[in-house]
Amino acid sequence: MSEVTERSALGGKVAGIGVRLPTLLTRRDLVVLVVFAIAVLTMPTWLVALGGYEALATKIVIWAIFALGFDILLGLTGYLSFGHAAFFGTAAYVTGLSLKHLSADILPAMALSFVVVLVVALALGVLTLRRSGIYFAILTLAFAEMAHALVLSSTLQKWTGGDNGLTGLASPSLFGSRLSDHSVFYICSALLIAGYVFARVLRRSPLGLMLRSIKENQMRLEYTGVNVFAYKMAAFVVSAMYAGLAGSLMVIYEPYVATKYLYWSTSGEVVIMSVIGGVGTLIGPIFGAGFMLYFENVVQAFIGEQWKLLLGIIFVAIVIFLPGGFADLGRLGWKAMGGVVRSRRHNVPDMPGSVEEDRRRRQRGDLEEDDD
Amino acid sequence: MIETVNGHASAPILEVRGVSKWFAGLKALDCVNLTVQEGSIHAIIGPNGAGKSTLLNVLIGLIEADDGTITYAGETLKGLSPHNIIQKGIARVFQTPQIFPALSLVENVAIAILAKRDGKFSIRLLEALRPGHPVVELAAEHLREVGLADHLQSEAQHLSRGDKRRLELALCLAAEPRLLLLDEPTAGMSRHDTNRTIDLLQHLSRKGMTKIVIEHDMHVVFSLADRISVLAQGAVIAEGVPEDVRGNPKVQQAYLGEASA
Repeated sequence: MSEVTERSALGGKVAGIGVRLPTLLTRRDLVVLVVFAIAVLTMPTWLVALGGYEALATKIVIWAIFALGFDILLGLTGYLSFGHAAFFGTAAYVTGLSLKHLSADILPAMALSFVVVLVVALALGVLTLRRSGIYFAILTLAFAEMAHALVLSSTLQKWTGGDNGLTGLASPSLFGSRLSDHSVFYICSALLIAGYVFARVLRRSPLGLMLRSIKENQMRLEYTGVNVFAYKMAAFVVSAMYAGLAGSLMVIYEPYVATKYLYWSTSGEVVIMSVIGGVGTLIGPIFGAGFMLYFENVVQAFIGEQWKLLLGIIFVAIVIFLPGGFADLGRLGWKAMGGVVRSRRHNVPDMPGSVEEDRRRRQRGDLEEDDD
Repeated sequence: MIETVNGHASAPILEVRGVSKWFAGLKALDCVNLTVQEGSIHAIIGPNGAGKSTLLNVLIGLIEADDGTITYAGETLKGLSPHNIIQKGIARVFQTPQIFPALSLVENVAIAILAKRDGKFSIRLLEALRPGHPVVELAAEHLREVGLADHLQSEAQHLSRGDKRRLELALCLAAEPRLLLLDEPTAGMSRHDTNRTIDLLQHLSRKGMTKIVIEHDMHVVFSLADRISVLAQGAVIAEGVPEDVRGNPKVQQAYLGEASA
């Protein structure tokens, strides 16, 4: 390889850097993870004390997985998708079909939905990631709506159940034994905890740094020799896999596939959870998922249909007064105690356009402020 | 053509032949030829709107030339995507500093080191980029070299404009390029910082790095450049060693006369 020898002739330091790496998780990480795991695993108990019910805990954990994966795309990479219902719903339908026609065991159902969501995510990523900001949001929304229309279409009705959703599923089992509500909760919790560990490791890894720099300045990244599109694709696919996992677990939790799993409102809900909780903080969207479902299921029992109005007011108040979401309360508290906090970008669509858009504009000569 | 620069023989690392670019009927580059010797510092000067930055943009694939060829280290760059061109060992400092605003200085530079170490795409998950990681330590070293040692963990967006420029330079140097493109590297810097930057660039040239510099400051141009190309209205009107260019009446008319007036 002449290229390599030529480069090292310049006395390159990169070629000589060591391979001894710091440990993956610090003691502080371990403390955080243990606290997180305990909080999740004891949720059925403390949720009841807060006026909730045990089964709600499972639902919260499932949506937390969805919101956590969504934050990898929105919070780390800076891409606001309005079509993540496409992955959640696709996985739900595939899981449902597998439970109904193939086997009551959840492993083939989950494996199958994993593969299908991977393929769908790769295809949608190629089609949507060439655009950024509002165009990306609209494109993802359009594809999700197409998927929704497809499920309701008369040709597929025989398979999908049309408007009624997919019903008559076998009750899910694992290795031949029927799953109890408790075991579903612990399976979902284990996956959430694993997903959280993965997301934290990802955030601090070289891959995570690349994703965070896409949010900051993807033009600079491309002109540093990085294939920005490939990294965007990685973030998109990983976050779609989280959404797919959540969709699949939803059907295992409640053996029925609702058409709304593919509807835009599902995409919208995960966006609201992220914003309420704190975009880009990983823990924030998990908290947001819990808050929103608690509101929808517990607070509603007290104040009736007006819960949506109240949630709307809370949402607006957070966007205006606490743009970093609930997670910002912790940061503000830390700052008040004299700690050092890093500033954080809360919102997304103000990011500069993608590399392709930038090149296209320059190609036409629309963008020449750099030139004199 | 073998020439001697800085005392050792060198071959052209970059050859631009007949490159033209139109913007909606306006000719931004008019059949530009440019030969840059390995290890040299080649300055591009010219009045505003001469097409200097456009030429650099064409070199890194930011815009595509309508005509002409670009050969870098014996290979054509035509049709390559920007990151593939950069991966061949080119780095670019932009006129408006291009950095990652909300990332720390160390993270800014670490990105370039990772791009060099891992290539254009690689999934590296099982490494924690914390103090003690060799990439982080090397990034800090690069920042010390350009005089930004005091702010390693602060965010890039809080730097002054001159410091942002130095950060971008550190980022580009961390990629260990063979060819460094600099678009007004000292604009907005004090005389003291300008001289420091000149020293740094000269130091790097002794290590064999080739540089193309766009510069308005004639003090910088004449203290740095081995050769100068003068661009006016998209065309090269003069090319040669600094003394020849300084004495060229066409250049004085197009540029130097105007600047000294």
